[in-house]
Amino acid sequence: MEERGFLGKLAAIVPGLAMMVVTLYLLKQVVEPWLAGVAVFGQKGYITKSIGLNYVLMSILVGMAYRNLLFRGSIPGWAAEGFRTTRLFIKTGVIMLGSLYTIQSLAKVGGLAIALIVAFVFGTIFFVMWMGKKLGMDRSMVGVMGAACGVCGVSAAIATSPGVKAKPAEVALAIATILGFGIMSMFITPPIGRALGLSDYQFGAWVGTGILNSGQVLATCLSFNPAIAPGTAVAYGEIWNVVRVISIPFVVFFITLWYWRGEAQEEHMSLWGILKSKFPIFVLGFFGMTALSSFDMLGKEGSETLHMLRDWMAWIFGIGMVGLGAYIDFGEIKKAGGAPLKIGVAAGTLKLVLSLVIILLFIGKEASF
Amino acid sequence: MRILLALDESARAVDEAVKLAAERGSGLTALFVQDTTWHDYLGSDWLSGSNARGGYIEWAAEHDMREAAGLPELLREKTRGIDFELKVASGRVPEEILKELASGAYDLLVMAQPFRRGLEVLRDTAAGLIPKLPCSLYLVREQKD
Amino acid sequence: MSAEEKKKALTVFKTDRHEDVAACCFAGLAVVIVLCYMAFFLPSVTIKAPVDGKLTEIKVKVGDTIAEGQPLYVYETKKKKFVQGQMQETSVSETFKSKTPGKVLSVKLAPGEAFKKGNGLLVVEHVKGTLP
Repeated sequence: MEERGFLGKLAAIVPGLAMMVVTLYLLKQVVEPWLAGVAVFGQKGYITKSIGLNYVLMSILVGMAYRNLLFRGSIPGWAAEGFRTTRLFIKTGVIMLGSLYTIQSLAKVGGLAIALIVAFVFGTIFFVMWMGKKLGMDRSMVGVMGAACGVCGVSAAIATSPGVKAKPAEVALAIATILGFGIMSMFITPPIGRALGLSDYQFGAWVGTGILNSGQVLATCLSFNPAIAPGTAVAYGEIWNVVRVISIPFVVFFITLWYWRGEAQEEHMSLWGILKSKFPIFVLGFFGMTALSSFDMLGKEGSETLHMLRDWMAWIFGIGMVGLGAYIDFGEIKKAGGAPLKIGVAAGTLKLVLSLVIILLFIGKEASF
Repeated sequence: MRILLALDESARAVDEAVKLAAERGSGLTALFVQDTTWHDYLGSDWLSGSNARGGYIEWAAEHDMREAAGLPELLREKTRGIDFELKVASGRVPEEILKELASGAYDLLVMAQPFRRGLEVLRDTAAGLIPKLPCSLYLVREQKD
Repeated sequence: MSAEEKKKALTVFKTDRHEDVAACCFAGLAVVIVLCYMAFFLPSVTIKAPVDGKLTEIKVKVGDTIAEGQPLYVYETKKKKFVQGQMQETSVSETFKSKTPGKVLSVKLAPGEAFKKGNGLLVVEHVKGTLP
């Protein structure tokens, strides 16, 4: 890769980024209003309301079409740099989401979120370890799958892999499983949520606990309800997500400890070392935003300033969603197989169903904030 | 004309290529491609917190290097008496192979099917090559044991 | 390409940690731009409807000077409520209180008219330095 200056880098980003922005603009401002006016089965807005084909879902689908149909598997060089900014946009959006909460509301929902997540994270890890043993899987693969199914899918899997000496070729298979399962749940959970009449609060809690991959939690919440405001699916889902993100370093520590059976501790890990190198610091930005909004520094609830901020968030997330779709390569996911597939599907399905049951039983329709 | 051998974890492809080169009395070039497509593959999860991805890619690269460490010795051993050359490249595997073939010095490509190197386990490497191949192709199946 | 160089090619940034920091800066920048624009550059404030609904009463008229917290209009809207697990839609009447001080420049709807979320209802003069 040739060295480029700052301006050169900026110029390299432009084509891909422009493509994402134009796509989003067309979908959000042109296609969605048009779809909302189309009458199917004699019902106006049937497509957008009942099927839930809003601009978020369309952005992901179009992104997927770019990668898989238009570009045939790999994003060409002229657009690659631009599409790589996807992560920046989603992270920025998540940081800005912090402004939806106040310290008091976080304290109210946070306790429940932490309890549910800790229970599910470690429950899943133990389940995977037990099942891996039954299937006679390699210990390092069990570790990777445990992290992947337990916490945040791909990000947890790769954070754990070096510590448990997992082979890259096998990690590739594990990730394919996680991605495949995540994408499936991204498309099936919103209709299920609608059919069961889940409230935004319940839906956010459900997918926040049940879906493996964090990118897909965000996408699922937004496609369930594209509105960004306190009390929408994305506001609840992301609280869950942020708690999970924070738990990654601890899970990595736990699994590494399990892998080495507690021996040679000094050499392989220290919790502080893992925290220092793996703690996602954008989470701090998220809490910074929460602090600002707690002191009314961003305008009062219901004010035009907050409306404008949330409009910006919707655009930033929207760009991220097009890019998220473009990261999905069906060819690569299709090859998932072997023991990781079995264990991933078993653990993923169990988690999704169990969390739905618990949420239907114990979580009220209306949230505490 | 020379034979190009695309290296992966399979030893059988190496043996077949060496046998062919000896029979035909032609030169053999082995190409080791280090897979650099991990970052796009892992990028789909925006969360991968600070350094987790970087740390992993480093680990995967080190793993590839370790696999390759004994390779030159082993190959020299096997190819004694043949005009042999080892090349190392990094990038997307099929693209690097095509780039090497484009020099026009080769009339045969020998590789394993399925091809196991980094993320190529998820891709059908040969299928991606065939439409653009400027020479003949010998796919070596993995031995079932 | 060495592992070190590859790490650099990870994102458009050097490492993921740089990306995290950049995202924080980017978010901060977006917030600062929005706040500055709303506080100092906005000529007049259009008060938009928070939800879909129907206007029942407007409590101010053009030329009035309003204060923060003063009721501006009363509207009727459908609210989702969960009664024993069943979603029910009930019509409720709500009063919208002003979030900003200023002078009313124009009133866009008359009582009895329906509006959609995001429609402009009132235009109010903007007092510089406040966040409307």
